[in-house]
Amino acid sequence: MRTDLSPRLRVALYGLMCVLLIPFVFPTWWMITSSVKPISDIFAFPPDLWPRRFDFSTYQRVFELQPFARQYWNSAYIAAIVTAGTMVVSSMAGYAFARIKFPFSNAIFMVVLLGLLIPSEVTIVPLFQMFLGWGMINTHWPLILVPIFGAPSVFATFVMRQFFIALPGELEEAARVDGLGRFKIFWTIALPLAKPALGAVAIFTFLHSWNLYLEPIVFLSSTQMFTLPQALTQFTDAYGGAMWNIQLAAATMTAIPVLLVFIVAQKQFVEGLAHTGLKG
Amino acid sequence: MAPVSLHSVRKAYGEVQILHGIDVDIADGEFIVLVGPSGCGKSTLLRMIAGLETITKGDIRIGDRVVNDLEPKDRDIAMVFQNYALYPHMTVATNMGFSLEHRGASKAEIAERVKWAADILDLSHLLDRYPRQLSGGQRQRVAMGRAIVRNPQVFLFDEPLSNLDAKLRVVMRGEIKGLHQRLGVTTVYVTHDQIEAMTMADRIVVMNAGKVEQIGGPLELYDRPANLFVAGFIGSPAMNILGGTIEGAQFKAAGVTLPLPAGLTTSGAASYGIRPEHFQLSPVGLPAVVSLVEPMGSETQVTMTLGEHVVTGVFRERVAARPGETIHILPDLTAVHLFDAKTGQRIN
Repeated sequence: MRTDLSPRLRVALYGLMCVLLIPFVFPTWWMITSSVKPISDIFAFPPDLWPRRFDFSTYQRVFELQPFARQYWNSAYIAAIVTAGTMVVSSMAGYAFARIKFPFSNAIFMVVLLGLLIPSEVTIVPLFQMFLGWGMINTHWPLILVPIFGAPSVFATFVMRQFFIALPGELEEAARVDGLGRFKIFWTIALPLAKPALGAVAIFTFLHSWNLYLEPIVFLSSTQMFTLPQALTQFTDAYGGAMWNIQLAAATMTAIPVLLVFIVAQKQFVEGLAHTGLKG
Repeated sequence: MAPVSLHSVRKAYGEVQILHGIDVDIADGEFIVLVGPSGCGKSTLLRMIAGLETITKGDIRIGDRVVNDLEPKDRDIAMVFQNYALYPHMTVATNMGFSLEHRGASKAEIAERVKWAADILDLSHLLDRYPRQLSGGQRQRVAMGRAIVRNPQVFLFDEPLSNLDAKLRVVMRGEIKGLHQRLGVTTVYVTHDQIEAMTMADRIVVMNAGKVEQIGGPLELYDRPANLFVAGFIGSPAMNILGGTIEGAQFKAAGVTLPLPAGLTTSGAASYGIRPEHFQLSPVGLPAVVSLVEPMGSETQVTMTLGEHVVTGVFRERVAARPGETIHILPDLTAVHLFDAKTGQRIN
């Protein structure tokens, strides 16, 4: 980035960025601080940016009211399998669409892309019928299979295809001369070079699965099977009112992996999307 | 090492004909250069030899095998690409040993071959580096190392020097030629640079619009071009070509009459070719008006108007004339080339 701005302009720009930051940072700040406030302090007006009293028992209550550790594990392992599965499916499909000549490949890819235009709410009932027929309701299979072969994977396939299109053809030709077949070229040449794009796919697939809400509430019915976004709605009192401080403590713990993923891998994420021409 | 034979090789993409029946026999251990302007089909032909492009018609033989339907890996060839095509995620050593690894060679054998190639190409100190950590010349040497490491029957080079600067190109030209002399492997080399072709080839194949215009040694092509295309393509600065008619012992062009070699029996419309260095300064020569003088040190290049034709002369002498002044020149009659005006084929 060029840094030939005058000091005054730079200060003004940083000031503007700080102001723009508020709507993004404030909800997270409010979530974390409210999770350790007594419930009566949460809605105090004017709101307190820093808790007047700390109550960490909310975090203990999260585990008493729900099988939260189990739900955490559910979300984690489902997200891990979905991420791995999507990486496999999208990288292979993206490679095929980018590098293998077959009849109507572009038209087929367009049809696949059209899947992105269909809201998940439209397909959820037929999917429910299908998984009901397969005996998979109240199991985690729908939460694994739908993202791997559904819209999230289509987007991932698009990202991978864009990356593989930009890969120099000479590398593959050199590999062919070196004695490699199609799959080995994919596995030993194309895939290792696609790490930035794969990283981006992994991040947004993990986050998508982690945050999945509609599908769990349709397909799951027992608290032992719940995932975190669904579990968050269960912290209510006897009258159905939200137990805000406990819910926000659970939400804070739910957000930790997301924040960690972004902090650790944000560079990879940006680079991966830059490679695909999707940045900005 | 193996001879390579191309017999009536054709290539078409749908209705579009790219190569119109190429016949070339390359001897065992020969260094042959395919040269021609961009789009003439030389790279396509090389890629067909490599197996990276299918053959529409005809046969390609490497050794005693017809390789038309063989995969590149089964042709026992190695190729050096224009952009080197080094695997960015592998070190120099891994790049060089990669093909051996995939052919089931033992680790000891791979290490030995890589070391052998690295020693030849002065790459021993770079074996642990990645391609991004190398200069253009070093990358090119690694690409050659990758080619020689498995001792193929044929080397294929696809414009390997075109990404290097002029000075490095000269150095690498020598290295490739030296490598060929050392290993003696049959080599097919593609370039659009006729100086590269002249300096490196045992024989040159001049191609134009999907056809072979002439095959011959560098000096044969230079001294006796078979047609107008080869005459204009080979040589820098290019041969002067003047259109006109042969009348007896004279060649009449627009605004000037040129002498012809004795014993010529043809007459009629023709093209008169004379290389720039085959003009001589002579007080009894033809008057030419100087438009540009370019002193090169060892020689002087003069652009001038002869009759109504702009021609170039290269003289060993220092030419003191200024633009607008008249000098007198004579063509060396032993080095005059005459071409048929209709067919463009050589007639003397």
